[in-house]
Amino acid sequence: MKVKNTENLVSLENVFKSFNQNKVLKGVSLDLNKYEVISIIGGNGAGKSTLMKILTGVYSVDNGFVKIKGKEMQNHTPSIALEIGIYLVPQEPLLFPNMTVEQNINFGYDKPKHVIREEAKRICSELDWEIDLSRMAASLTIAEQQQLEIIKGLVRQAKILVLDEPTSALTFSETKSLFTVIEKLKKEGVGIFYITHRLDEVFEISTHAVILRDGKVTLKEEIEDVTKDMLIQGLLPDGSDTGYSSTYEKNYVDHTGKPPVLKVENLTGDGFRDINFEVYQGEVVGLAGLVGAGRTEIAEAIYGITSSHSGKVKLGDKDITHMGINETVGNGLSYIPEDRFLHGIFSIGSVKNNLTAQILKNQGFFVNRKEEKIVTKKYVERLRIKLADTEQEIKSLSGGNQQKVVISRILSTNPHLIIMDEPTRGIDAAARSDIYSIITDLKNIGFSILLISSDLEEIELISNRIYGIYRGVCNAHLGPEEINATNVMKAAFGTYERSDSHVKA
Amino acid sequence: MEPMKEVILMSKLKAITKKREFRTFLFLVIIFVIVGMVNSEFLSINNLQNSLKSSLLYIVLAIGLTFVLLTGNIDISVGGTLGLSAAVSGLILKNGGSIIVAILVAVLIGALIGFINGIGVAKLNISSFIMTLGMLEITRVIQVIYTKGQWVENLPTTFKQISQVKIFGLNLLIIIVAIGVILVQMYLSKSEKGRYFSAIGDNTDGAILLGVPVQRYKIYSFVISGICAAIAGLIFASQIGFISTTAGMGIEMTVIASAVLGGVSLSGGVGTVVGASIGAVIMISINSALVYMKIPAFWNDAISGSLLITIVVADALMARRSNKNIKKERLRARVLKPEEVVTHAHAK
Repeated sequence: MKVKNTENLVSLENVFKSFNQNKVLKGVSLDLNKYEVISIIGGNGAGKSTLMKILTGVYSVDNGFVKIKGKEMQNHTPSIALEIGIYLVPQEPLLFPNMTVEQNINFGYDKPKHVIREEAKRICSELDWEIDLSRMAASLTIAEQQQLEIIKGLVRQAKILVLDEPTSALTFSETKSLFTVIEKLKKEGVGIFYITHRLDEVFEISTHAVILRDGKVTLKEEIEDVTKDMLIQGLLPDGSDTGYSSTYEKNYVDHTGKPPVLKVENLTGDGFRDINFEVYQGEVVGLAGLVGAGRTEIAEAIYGITSSHSGKVKLGDKDITHMGINETVGNGLSYIPEDRFLHGIFSIGSVKNNLTAQILKNQGFFVNRKEEKIVTKKYVERLRIKLADTEQEIKSLSGGNQQKVVISRILSTNPHLIIMDEPTRGIDAAARSDIYSIITDLKNIGFSILLISSDLEEIELISNRIYGIYRGVCNAHLGPEEINATNVMKAAFGTYERSDSHVKA
Repeated sequence: MEPMKEVILMSKLKAITKKREFRTFLFLVIIFVIVGMVNSEFLSINNLQNSLKSSLLYIVLAIGLTFVLLTGNIDISVGGTLGLSAAVSGLILKNGGSIIVAILVAVLIGALIGFINGIGVAKLNISSFIMTLGMLEITRVIQVIYTKGQWVENLPTTFKQISQVKIFGLNLLIIIVAIGVILVQMYLSKSEKGRYFSAIGDNTDGAILLGVPVQRYKIYSFVISGICAAIAGLIFASQIGFISTTAGMGIEMTVIASAVLGGVSLSGGVGTVVGASIGAVIMISINSALVYMKIPAFWNDAISGSLLITIVVADALMARRSNKNIKKERLRARVLKPEEVVTHAHAK
């Protein structure tokens, strides 16, 4: 028996929102009633957070209506939202670290302090949470901070609660106790928006599932009518299975008998655990996963930016597990972090200077001009960089060609393996396909590439093999035959069924 | 129930000793003890009163600056504001204007300068360092133009006597400032709106989400700092009796050092005006201690400079370490635990 009280709490109608040129929400309509827990699922940049910030009055809508409890909101602000009972528990707790727990609870809340204190104590005992009210917020663990955020919302008698990935920093048992709280609140008539990446949780606690993709709602169903596969399909872009994947040839390479260029064994560190994978010569290996899944942390541990706790990393025959950056670079590893693609140029320098910047330190005190010219010529030809003259300012080149210069600079150090982190984030479509061709070219020349990307389409498009990283664990391996949009999505969301080619968990 | 009371008292005492202000105060006591051992005259009531009297204007400046620092900004224009408002009101007094008018004009000037600073920082997003540095230079030049490069001298004796009035053997201004410090402290730590300032510096996004009008309160903080600087200017004029074109030159360094020494964080969110005031007294005490210990006065700047850097660096190191730990903890919590993998399989 379900209580069918259709008292409407929130009604978003055809909401549009863009930041500068970037259209984030393209006509979202969504209702929340009492006694409902609506899970909102979506990839990175789908617009979930923006939508919730509109609800809480941080952003205003460009177009469309926000109705709360039947009343249309104009000039919606965070303080109005608080007043009418909307409370957002953000993903990263927004507490005041230098205030006590109690001060955090009653900050900005217009009620006598002893009343609030009693209320907070009552809620704590009801939830079976123990938080010392006189502690400094800075001394709380992440889980306690999250609990404090939720208590803050409950003290304010929130009728509409927004939980933005609340479990991302909680342990298993803490998650369980949170779910009990959600269940209790639901029975009391609170409406909840629950944002998550974890599909299991969706089925555990929600009454409805909503999928947000590219700023639109692509699926909205009662939870009884939803399956995991439906969620995965809803997350996939339209017609992705037909795509233009054939543009980038992925000739199958047989690795049997050849030693891997990079071999990672049982690597464990902060943010990841028991990672195993190999990269062979002349292939692009993708690490597919959502932001925060631990991919960048893995790359940083391999490269030597952070240290790992246990496990082994081998580059060729050499053990590079405990090496610092200088040594790993010396041994032929190279890492292109996300912003390098965007900001990695000395914009008023010449193409030649940009290209040779990284090998300069290998020479004497004075710059060897002849050497510079030879190197520049080599890579301009090799990567087909389009330019009039090598002395040209680099910013006069097109975006794609600028990227090629950046990549040439990396190549000039002769790396065995190149790790690329989000190579196309913030880059327009034309330059994007340029980078794809460059990566494919590099592969064909014989370079090995470890590609990290949260753009699942991109990873599907250019990788020979894909490892899925979900919550710090490598849970899936897709061979060339298994790579398709659905499987990549499943791998990133941790629901891919293990296939035989997967080595071990 | 007696032992109970004792426990509560003990825990209260413990809480007090843990406060940054307490450590500052201890530091002040140590200075007095050490210097007192070298030269016992330093501990005379007369010297103590003099120390307090000469730190008055620094205390007033530190109160205003604390508001700005709490929001995570900085105000280095205070010396310029002090000089300009003192010069303008000094000229009014010299030309026979009433004291009330002079005070009002000074406060207005301070408020206006602070308002411009605030608009620049809060609305136009100019870094507060640059904005107030520019303002410092501008106010200096305006002062020179306004006074035609002359010192403002021969202020009426009635005005100069204000700083000498005594009640119950205590300097009136000291009493007023002490009460002021306590009231401001109550406002900042007890009242709802007063806590907005430290909240902004503590976590701006959180403050926005809880409905704090962040921009407005940033502007307020600069206005308050400006007004305090103007009041300090009046105290300066009354105590010294004349206003040179370089009045308050370099004073911003001393005030910033005072606040930081008193436990106000340069990155915002932490600090009290009580602490900042004790810091100001320390800075002046160091100054006079050097005299009593017969150390050349120029060492003063070096000492205050190294104190400032030591405290700021220590603060930054602690903040960095705790940030690193938080990040690590966050990363670890994300990882799928072996016991969860089991339920994962069940869910299918």
